[in-house]
Amino acid sequence: MSDDVYDTDLVVSTVREILTGHEPTQLTPERRWDAALWTELAEAGLTGVGLPEEAGGSGGELADAVAVVATLASGAGAVPAAEQLLVAGPAVLAAGLPLPDPSQPLSVAVSGALTVDDGGRLTGTATDVAWAGVVHWLAVVAQGRDGEVLALVDVSGLEATHAANLAGEPRGSYVFDGVPAQVGPLPADLRARYALARAVQLSAAAETVLAWTVQYAGERQQFGRPLARFQGIQMQLAQMAGEVTAVAALVDAAVQRLDRGEPLELAAAAAKVRAGAAVEVVARQAHQVHGAIGFTQEHRLHHLTKRMWSWRDEAGNELTWARVLGAAVATDAPWAVLTTLV
Amino acid sequence: MPSTLTLAPAPPSEAAEAVRLKVREFLAAELAAGSFSTHVDTWLSGVDPEFSAKLGARGWLGMTWPKEYGGHERTAMERYAVTEELLAAGAPVAAHWIADRQSGPNLLRYGTEAQRREILPKIAAGECFFVIGMSEPDSGSDLASIRTKAVRNGDGDWVVNGAKVWTSNAHHSHYAITLVRTAPADPTNRHAGMSQLLVDLSTPGITINPIRILDGGHHFNEVVFDDVVIPGDMLLGEEGAGWHQVTAELAFERSGPERFLSTFPLLAEFARRAAATQDPAQLATLGRLSARLLALRQLSLRIAAALDRGELPDIPAALVKDVGTTFEADVAEEVRKVVDVPASLDSPDPLGRALAEAVLHAPGYTLRGGTNEILRGIVARGLGLR
Repeated sequence: MSDDVYDTDLVVSTVREILTGHEPTQLTPERRWDAALWTELAEAGLTGVGLPEEAGGSGGELADAVAVVATLASGAGAVPAAEQLLVAGPAVLAAGLPLPDPSQPLSVAVSGALTVDDGGRLTGTATDVAWAGVVHWLAVVAQGRDGEVLALVDVSGLEATHAANLAGEPRGSYVFDGVPAQVGPLPADLRARYALARAVQLSAAAETVLAWTVQYAGERQQFGRPLARFQGIQMQLAQMAGEVTAVAALVDAAVQRLDRGEPLELAAAAAKVRAGAAVEVVARQAHQVHGAIGFTQEHRLHHLTKRMWSWRDEAGNELTWARVLGAAVATDAPWAVLTTLV
Repeated sequence: MPSTLTLAPAPPSEAAEAVRLKVREFLAAELAAGSFSTHVDTWLSGVDPEFSAKLGARGWLGMTWPKEYGGHERTAMERYAVTEELLAAGAPVAAHWIADRQSGPNLLRYGTEAQRREILPKIAAGECFFVIGMSEPDSGSDLASIRTKAVRNGDGDWVVNGAKVWTSNAHHSHYAITLVRTAPADPTNRHAGMSQLLVDLSTPGITINPIRILDGGHHFNEVVFDDVVIPGDMLLGEEGAGWHQVTAELAFERSGPERFLSTFPLLAEFARRAAATQDPAQLATLGRLSARLLALRQLSLRIAAALDRGELPDIPAALVKDVGTTFEADVAEEVRKVVDVPASLDSPDPLGRALAEAVLHAPGYTLRGGTNEILRGIVARGLGLR
């Protein structure tokens, strides 16, 4: 895929096709990601989508990268695509650092206590690192002499702790002790991009969970008719659809804002808050409609609901971003603020 | 997601942002001059014909209609920006709201040339007001069960008998587009035999009785028809097509920013409070509510853009109204959890007064224009469940 212009529909269908050979499985400390899926994606050029060709990426637009991430989220693909395509990759480039080979997975670390000395050596602990122990590269927010910087570090030889989120996705820590790194200025919107990336994943997962639940309600027979025929079930599904649709509209709008290069922080904050808040309704009612089978690992539902329960907490939860957004709206003229945010 | 529920993103509109700033400037000047005070839910309760006429004079009513009928041939996106600004400011827009939003477009579609020429310019000038004549004492959500009857007399006129309820501001309005039964109920086709009549509310035989809502306000009425003779040419659209026409009208009724901004004046008051206190719990609540509002705005903007494309997005409109009106009611409940201010219409604190207005009007948000249960039924149909 060396064409500069991607067809987003083609990107989606390609990712879907690749996903069909990679049924989601329960991640464990022994099987922490889907390395084979990543290899296939990389071979198809999909791990560099949205990153410019001249920098070593595959080219294409932000919309294409978002489509890759969303499609993988819908299929519970256990790979660091969101981190690489939407957060760390663009951040590395914005910091003026060389983009690692897109076939070598790259993640991002925004929390912990880290410093970089004048010689570019990284020291301290990065916590809650998505895909820790799996990725080759890490873009780390660290304290430099004059404030925060972005440090790109090769972690392929480092050990990470084996912490995981509710879905088993690695979320461990790295300890750095004077590890050499490439250092550049911290892109201002890094944390917002991370939040928006999780919101994109949440939106895609919620949409799929709704589709699965609608399908299940149409198939499952009780009292001699499909669940979907019961008005109480219809009300629950309609309410889920309202949440899913509202999240999708706001996440889309925030992505477009990013695409236009406009200030992202508050739009991303709103998208993350709204997407996170929808999980309560969507996951709860999906499980309620699916009944006991959805409460087991035998059914596919948990792959997405567990991710949703985790993703809403990651890259800043609703409380964190609601405070950021609330502080911006808390003015004498809140309406004037709100109409310029997204 | 089924395509029945999704809408394409709204392209940015410079014209809409330009008119938005003009309206904002106008509202700031009017507020400063004391010509109105901010209240919650003013598209129901804020009747001010003088204010409506000012909007008409500025070209902010009948915005999307053809110029030959007094309109301004602006886009739905521009109209959206104007209505949003008016609602956010809590301005008194109730007098003209129904006429501008749905009766005018209804007349444009189904009215005779004479009716259009006579009435539309007056609506656009903010001088002619309408009410919705749909619900009846025994027909709420089950609109097809209406019993108000119109029978042709020997002169070809309609003789109407029955009663309509929840007719907002009928006592200030000139016309009621009234859904009547023009053929006996057909048990095999519940939606047949209904028609819409354009009823002049000053016609002899019409009695308008007030029905007070929870805060004591007189907005609702019962409109009783006792052998009321309506000229034959006041049939709107096709005889027997009333159900179809009403359904199309409801898509307009359900899709606008008044379905999530009715309580915005309370949210604004709360934002000012949070700005003063910098209380973390208040800021977080303000952020959560703002995120919900921003999502609703995006949905509503998409509907405006779909209207500009000539679509009639009835199912997404039902969805937006369900989510939006739930939000309107939640604003009061969420705000009161993080402020210790008693809700009272007599409160010395503007936040207490706004809370009182929002709470006392809250039951209406999720009922008017189709209950949320009816709306979710429509969404369920969009999901392919019925």
